[in-house]
Amino acid sequence: MMRRCLFLPLLGLALLWPGSFPHAELVVVVNVRSGVSAMTRNEVINLFFGRTRVFFNGLEAQVVDLQDTHPDRGRFYRALVGKDLADVNAYWSRQLFTGRLQPPPQLRGSEEVLRWIVDHPGGIGYVDLRHADARVRVVFELGH
Amino acid sequence: MPGPQTLLSSGRLAALLLILCAALPLRADEERFSLQGFATLGASRSDSRELEFVRDLSQARGIGREWSAKIDSLAGLQTGWRLTRTLEASAQLVSRYRYDRSYVPELTWAYLKYEPWPMLSLRAGRLGTDFFMLADSRMVGYSYPTVRPPGDFFWHLPFSSIDGADLSLSRSLGDDVLRGKLFYGTTTARLPLAREHWDISGSAMAGGYLDYQSGAWQWRAGYAALRFSRDLPLSGLLAPLLPPAQLASTLAYLKTSGRRAGYYSLGLVHDRGPWLLQWMLNRIEQESAVFESSHAASFLLAYRSGSLTPYFGYSLARSSPKRERPSPLIDRIMADSHVDQRTTTLGLRWDFARNTALKLQWDGIRASPSSLFPFRNDPSSGQWSGRMNVYSLTLDYVFR
Repeated sequence: MMRRCLFLPLLGLALLWPGSFPHAELVVVVNVRSGVSAMTRNEVINLFFGRTRVFFNGLEAQVVDLQDTHPDRGRFYRALVGKDLADVNAYWSRQLFTGRLQPPPQLRGSEEVLRWIVDHPGGIGYVDLRHADARVRVVFELGH
Repeated sequence: MPGPQTLLSSGRLAALLLILCAALPLRADEERFSLQGFATLGASRSDSRELEFVRDLSQARGIGREWSAKIDSLAGLQTGWRLTRTLEASAQLVSRYRYDRSYVPELTWAYLKYEPWPMLSLRAGRLGTDFFMLADSRMVGYSYPTVRPPGDFFWHLPFSSIDGADLSLSRSLGDDVLRGKLFYGTTTARLPLAREHWDISGSAMAGGYLDYQSGAWQWRAGYAALRFSRDLPLSGLLAPLLPPAQLASTLAYLKTSGRRAGYYSLGLVHDRGPWLLQWMLNRIEQESAVFESSHAASFLLAYRSGSLTPYFGYSLARSSPKRERPSPLIDRIMADSHVDQRTTTLGLRWDFARNTALKLQWDGIRASPSSLFPFRNDPSSGQWSGRMNVYSLTLDYVFR
């Protein structure tokens, strides 16, 4: 935790990120070498809620989320399952305190998410369509 | 010859490298230690002068007409330690009102988890049981909409953990997920009984469930079998009342050690968008003469609008009296395990801050006059009016 506190500001300094168009589209992105080219909504839900931990091809998924304070997190879960963040956090507290699942790591911003996905063969996260560049592959579009 | 300037900057560089090196092996997905907790501060009262309302049968006394923080307030602390990618240790301590009227913290979870591949999990140690859907998160108020889990469904289940092992396996079937779990262990609970308590720790328990998730729908069918390790502590209570020969035969009749109980359950949850629907059924079969077999159902509908979630619940529980009634005294003891009641619940959850929820709830219990099992301080007549309203206010909090 302490170390992450030191690490993230360093990353943040290196990559000052403009992000002020709140109504653009969110997309789910994966590592380009994952062998996954498209996903259904239910497949995305199953991975982001920890119901399954592997892609259809057997590759272990490494899900990454954004911090609560990031506006895209609320938009993502509203668009994906129609749920408020409080519901999503209640779900994860149930998983955590019953020893079933650890919630996915929560990163500070889109650039960290993209880097995570590049670094992890099974990486999967969500970013604004404008940030989805050639480093990752878009497998699901959430609409506005 | 490096000048002071270069020395300074190489010092900075070293510090930077040190920070980076320290940070690199600890990417967010590889955090080794974690500490998290949950707490509920509750206040509740009923309008009954006759008997006391409890959250479940592990509580020695219940609440009456005065506001009390006793039955719902609790605090839990959990630590996790990731030893390797596939091995994890965890422990949880919870302080809540207990069978002995104290708040001495209890170790509710302490296990090692091994996940050799992502869809298989093996755990050993002290584990929560969830053969009734949601039973293992009953103490984490923040994780459900209501003030407490539906009593008519859950107070039968005073034991919440076992010392043993469980195995769970999941499998994707297209968009759907099938999950199964098996467990075996011995229970750890003690139940209050008059001035004494009934130690049911060491009772062997085995069971499992199948869980099917299809989109927003989740189905669960579970079964568990328990064999009681000990008899009820009745000899002290009955000795002054009966001649020795009759005492022995009465105690033999009320024997619980070696007797089995079977727990069957079905659950259905629909959770998508603002609506949450939960529907659960259970059937409990008691082999011993002293407890009545029972069934229960519970239904909950909640709707979220912004930070507010109003909800409506309805639950019922009924037990079937035994046909055999060998003596009035035995009859009186057996009458204590009778239940026949319905509860209507209305409430509001307000998520007013991050990881914090305030809840307000009314429960209207309508029972047959002989429905005594779920309550404390039973009237000596063995009958009550059968009407009770419970008012509750709780503040739930989690941190992680």
